[in-house]
Amino acid sequence: MALGLLYAKAAATALGPRSSTLPDTVVRRIAAIDRAHLAAYARLCGFRFGDAVPVPYLHVLGFPQQIELMATRAFPFALPGLVHVRNTGTAHRPVDAAERLSIAVHAERLRSHPKGAQVDLVTEIDVAGERVYDGRSTYLARGASAPLAEADPPGPQPFEDGPPTATWHLDAGLGRRYARISGDVNPIHLSPLAAKAFGFPRTIAHGMYTAARALASLDGRLSGALTWDVKFGKPLLLPSVVQLRTAPTGDGWAIDVRSEQAVHLTATVSEARSG
Amino acid sequence: MTSVRRAAVIGGNRIPFARSNGAYAEASNLDMLTAALDGLAARFGLAGVEVGEVAGGAVLKHSRDRDLTREAVLGSSLAPTTPAYDVAQACGTGLETVVLVANKIALGQIESGIAAGVDSASDAPVALNDDLRRVLMKLNGAKNLQQRIAALAGLRPGQIVPELPRNAEPRTGLSMGEHAAITALEWGITREEQDELAVASHRNLAAAYDRGFFDDLVTPFLGLSRDSTLRADTSVEKLAKLKPVFGTRGKNAAAATMTAGNSTPLTDGAATVLLGSDEWAAERRLPVLAHVVDAQTAAVDFVHGEDGLLTAPVFAMPKLLARNGLTFADIDFFEIHEAFASTVLATLKAWEDPAFAEERLGLDAPLGPIDRSKLNVTGSSLATGHPFAATGGRITATLAKLLHEKGPGSKGVISICAAGGQGVVALLEGA
Repeated sequence: MALGLLYAKAAATALGPRSSTLPDTVVRRIAAIDRAHLAAYARLCGFRFGDAVPVPYLHVLGFPQQIELMATRAFPFALPGLVHVRNTGTAHRPVDAAERLSIAVHAERLRSHPKGAQVDLVTEIDVAGERVYDGRSTYLARGASAPLAEADPPGPQPFEDGPPTATWHLDAGLGRRYARISGDVNPIHLSPLAAKAFGFPRTIAHGMYTAARALASLDGRLSGALTWDVKFGKPLLLPSVVQLRTAPTGDGWAIDVRSEQAVHLTATVSEARSG
Repeated sequence: MTSVRRAAVIGGNRIPFARSNGAYAEASNLDMLTAALDGLAARFGLAGVEVGEVAGGAVLKHSRDRDLTREAVLGSSLAPTTPAYDVAQACGTGLETVVLVANKIALGQIESGIAAGVDSASDAPVALNDDLRRVLMKLNGAKNLQQRIAALAGLRPGQIVPELPRNAEPRTGLSMGEHAAITALEWGITREEQDELAVASHRNLAAAYDRGFFDDLVTPFLGLSRDSTLRADTSVEKLAKLKPVFGTRGKNAAAATMTAGNSTPLTDGAATVLLGSDEWAAERRLPVLAHVVDAQTAAVDFVHGEDGLLTAPVFAMPKLLARNGLTFADIDFFEIHEAFASTVLATLKAWEDPAFAEERLGLDAPLGPIDRSKLNVTGSSLATGHPFAATGGRITATLAKLLHEKGPGSKGVISICAAGGQGVVALLEGA
């Protein structure tokens, strides 16, 4: 089903009875990479287009399945209003665009959070039985409740002030362009009116766009086998001028993206760590 | 400064060349050049290594790609402290980057360097209509509302039509193929000999792929592992069926000989060559395939003079040979870029012609015929395709490997014609 339709379905089922536990569904599909689509993604996010698949693109490939899982009443939270708060992923080896990917998505770790409840959508990608990617997207349902209290590891912290690596001028149409490519057509990214309905003064940038663009700035400095951990901070309102900062760590890089008002993203990336 | 030494050709890496709007339709020059550089770095253990410099270029270049080569280096696995610059000499660009890097190595200014070139006919720049561009520049410079309104008054509906890239000489308005057709007619180059040369190019390239010659020179890219122009099964009979496409207008239209089969198609691709001093190669335990001995450029007055657009190498080659005390008999491999089959054949005829030698080249005797079994022995641009600035790198790495196979002291020449009436030739010696 097209993602737009899934969103419509999710909106239609946003009210009404829902499950209080996670569905044990695993949404699977076999995917071949559409090189023209990969090229459009690479152009927008700043990656070089070639045979090596950028790691954040692996997340994009699993995203439709995340939505499919979250758009049903069997999922405990209504999709509209869910906030993507964290994304971690490990590409165990570089993935080539010619490879046939088995993508499986399931939900786990429903837990309470001081502001509501959190759940992880796990994306696992195999090539011919070999695990090549493990991804975990954490969503927060504000005001919701969950029985279990389970603390998350703290995640990447903003690092000490230093000069910016780059200044990005993000225009008002960015959300629509990334939505077209990623399929993440959440209305808060598309129109200021819809964003207002969800309590944002203007449209907001997709966290995964900001994260991908940050990672793209390190093209050539990292191998295709990497682990990254991204924590999303304050929403990045569009248009905006923001600054990317990068700092080498022992085995990789620390990254943050901030504006004068807020820290929008903190991340670490390093050579792949399994487990 | 140390004394002059010969730069070593250590190896090369290119991506297969693709017909325009084919496998690389979505790839930019920056994508392809970065891929070729990364492949070279992977082949020779250069990830994180600061190379002396990278010289590169593209003929069809977007304004955003002002420092294309440096941008490619920054996105590659080479150390970001590797300097880079862009070169532009039309189709001579690739070989000129080899000469520039080799000369710096020869002078001891650098110990290592990469020569590179890339072109995309699929992702070519489309510029604003020039009238519209002027209006917008005026608008940009306007200091008040009145000036802005005055600038906007210059807008016309016709300005919406953009400037598409054309393969035409600015001073003559003729395409390169039309220019080549004039030269073909002048030298009486027949359709049959052009088709034969084209078939030989395809067969030689296919045979070279089959024997694994390109295994350490080419890295697959975007699903291609061989040049997509290559037609291993082509034949003179098949090519004879094609209709001429150049020289088909005017009084000599009936004598037109140049077809899509004996002309290179528009192509996308990138090529790189790793050069260094012998010491640098030894330190890094890298092979030396050949040395760059010498090079020569030339230019002709194709606008008001009597020479054809693509004939400058005819004049460069005798100078190169004379300076090195060589004749054609000393040369083991001739790599003559096949912009068009007729260009190669006209070049050979000029070198064989006693009157031309005396009157135009100032030689007592012509350079002479070359042994065809030494010409483009692993195929050339008719079969590989010709992404303009990438051709010099493709040929240099190919020739260096051929010379290495042949043995120390073997000699090869490269001849590349270029738009603007220019030509670059070079002499390599096997190591």
